[in-house]
Amino acid sequence: MNDDRPLILVVEDEPQIRRFVRAALEDEGRVVEASSAAGALEAFTGPGPALAIIDLGLPDRDGVELIRELRTWTMLPLLVLSARSAEAEKVAALDAGADDYLTKPFGVQEMRARVRALLRRQKVGAGGTVIEFGNIRVDRAHRTVTRDGAAIHLTPIEYRLLGVLLTKAGRVLTHRQLLKDVWGPGYAERGHYLRIYIGHLRQKLEADPARPRYLLTETGIGYRFQIQDYAT
Amino acid sequence: MSEPKPSRGMGDYFRAALACVATTLLTLPLHGVVDAANIVMIFLLVVALVAVWLGSGPAILAAFGGVALFDFFFVEPRFSMAVADAQYLITFAVMLVVALVIGQLAARLREKALLATRREDEMRALYDMAKLLSGAVAAEQVADIVRDFLGSRMEIDAVLYLPRGDDALTAIPARQGGDQQQAHVRAVYEQGQPMPLAAEESGFAPALALPLVSSVRTRGVLLVFSEHAERFCAAEKRPLLDAVASLTAIAVERLHYGEVVQEVTLGMESERLRTALLSAVSHDLRTPLTVLVGLADALTLARPSLPPSAFESAVAIRDQALCLSGLVHNLLDMARLHTGKIVLNREWQPLEEVVGSSLKAMAGVLVGREVHVELAPDLPPLEFDAVLLERVFCNLLENAAKYAPKGEILITAQVAGDVAEVAVVDAGPGLPPDGEESVFDLFERGRHSGAGGGLGLAICRAIVEAHGGRIRAERRAEGGTRIVFTLPLGTPPVLEEEAGE
Repeated sequence: MNDDRPLILVVEDEPQIRRFVRAALEDEGRVVEASSAAGALEAFTGPGPALAIIDLGLPDRDGVELIRELRTWTMLPLLVLSARSAEAEKVAALDAGADDYLTKPFGVQEMRARVRALLRRQKVGAGGTVIEFGNIRVDRAHRTVTRDGAAIHLTPIEYRLLGVLLTKAGRVLTHRQLLKDVWGPGYAERGHYLRIYIGHLRQKLEADPARPRYLLTETGIGYRFQIQDYAT
Repeated sequence: MSEPKPSRGMGDYFRAALACVATTLLTLPLHGVVDAANIVMIFLLVVALVAVWLGSGPAILAAFGGVALFDFFFVEPRFSMAVADAQYLITFAVMLVVALVIGQLAARLREKALLATRREDEMRALYDMAKLLSGAVAAEQVADIVRDFLGSRMEIDAVLYLPRGDDALTAIPARQGGDQQQAHVRAVYEQGQPMPLAAEESGFAPALALPLVSSVRTRGVLLVFSEHAERFCAAEKRPLLDAVASLTAIAVERLHYGEVVQEVTLGMESERLRTALLSAVSHDLRTPLTVLVGLADALTLARPSLPPSAFESAVAIRDQALCLSGLVHNLLDMARLHTGKIVLNREWQPLEEVVGSSLKAMAGVLVGREVHVELAPDLPPLEFDAVLLERVFCNLLENAAKYAPKGEILITAQVAGDVAEVAVVDAGPGLPPDGEESVFDLFERGRHSGAGGGLGLAICRAIVEAHGGRIRAERRAEGGTRIVFTLPLGTPPVLEEEAGE
């Protein structure tokens, strides 16, 4: 009777974690479990899952490698579970194609919110030509940005950076990905460019640049454009 | 083994004389049977043989003796030195000159042969020593082998001086040397030039200090000494001594690199163990904590909702589990920082960003608290590890929230000389008197101690100091605590101008 609910794949070797993740996600969709990378790949033989939650510390294979393999043939949203002080691991997973991550230990509500956001994005994509957040309005057809109706001047790079962030709103983008998308492949190691320009954008778009609401920092990893109250 | 000598003293002259007499006795019966010229030939042959066997001195004796005996026994009038036929004088003269020339040539040949044999012998001995040295595994063994060689080949004693630890030269085998001798050895070690020492300088005997020069640097000093200075001072001894010094240097250098390799291997091994232990501990603690937080959190959200007391218990379990998780993270951070090998991932970035992310991360702890951020507008980008600096801010904010339960929290930053000065200020009860320094010590807690205070500040100090900054705590006159840390300003990289701006 619930066959139209999305299928959520949970790949985690710890049965107790699988248990509460399953319990927490009952409302969001049907949950299938896998305890290893091999089991995860098997889960794709039937009707494909709409989203996968992958623990990076799998017994039989490197989680990042699994993500890389999945990305060769599926674009389904991937949410990664990882430890704190494992920024390098998270960056590797995101660069390999993961969409978001959760740091252990994590609360049920936060996980639900992330899963919902990922499933929704799967459905609606990245919005239309006009995007509004707070008192900011971005018209991508006319390449204009206004704040409370007044035009804001963005430099070409600032506009390009905002565009990339908006296109992938809600998603964590690593420093490397952003530098590559905005400046080009030669700039992958020039993290300070990115940080300075994010600072410029915050000055122009955020009410309190020191406490941004939209242009969020994922310390040690990258940035996320958070559109709050988006369709909820 | 004693060195073969080119001349063997009076015995050889006696033997040479004996050879002349024997020749005379053996050839006497031939008188009148063979021509006198052939007798002369026999005498010349004897001189040649004497030269080959006994050397140049005895050969000269044999030449003169031969001529005299020939005159006495074979030339008329016999048994007198007188000569009847004057042309025999020519015979004598030719005989003498030929005998001397043959004698000298033969003797030189013999000396060359002897020298070659001696050289070969030396080479073999050096080769044997090199072979022994290549098997040595300790400096003491090297010293023993070198001392054996010098003792047996040259009858001299030796001491090896090698730098140990703090570069002080240690004698092997251990011996009490005068200060003057130590100073000489030191000078040779530093200058890399050999230097002779008189008996009064060395304090016991004439000595010669030879530097052990390897391909890279001087590896030590070989001090050779003997009561008989000529045993090592003579010019012809130097090549051998130099060869011994080179071989010793190679052996010492090999030992040195062996030690380096071993140290590196040990270091890598213990580092690997530590990392493995840390990740095992953190994994084993994290999994049950994640389960605990998740299950308790799921309980608080269960529908229909739990009865109030059970709901509160579930919330408490979740909060305590989160607290425990924070403590575990702090302990693991401290362990990592205390290994002294933190790799800072330093990048140039505005401080504002890490302040913002810290405030967001600590939003749960700071609920209902007013936090002001006052960053000087002229604050340049700083070079720091964002993840670690976020830990500093989070720990300071958590401390402020914990120890100053009410009042606003202030974060300030400005340039002060060649550093950026960052402060987190609260309006709490302040530090205990004299607590300004000890508050950063491991496991030190404030007066209103909560679970696992202290550790957070110790982590802050480790991180700030790893960045080349300082951290201090101040009691504010108007009440409250001000924790200040500095970060070096450095020179931020220049951004390329944006095209088309």
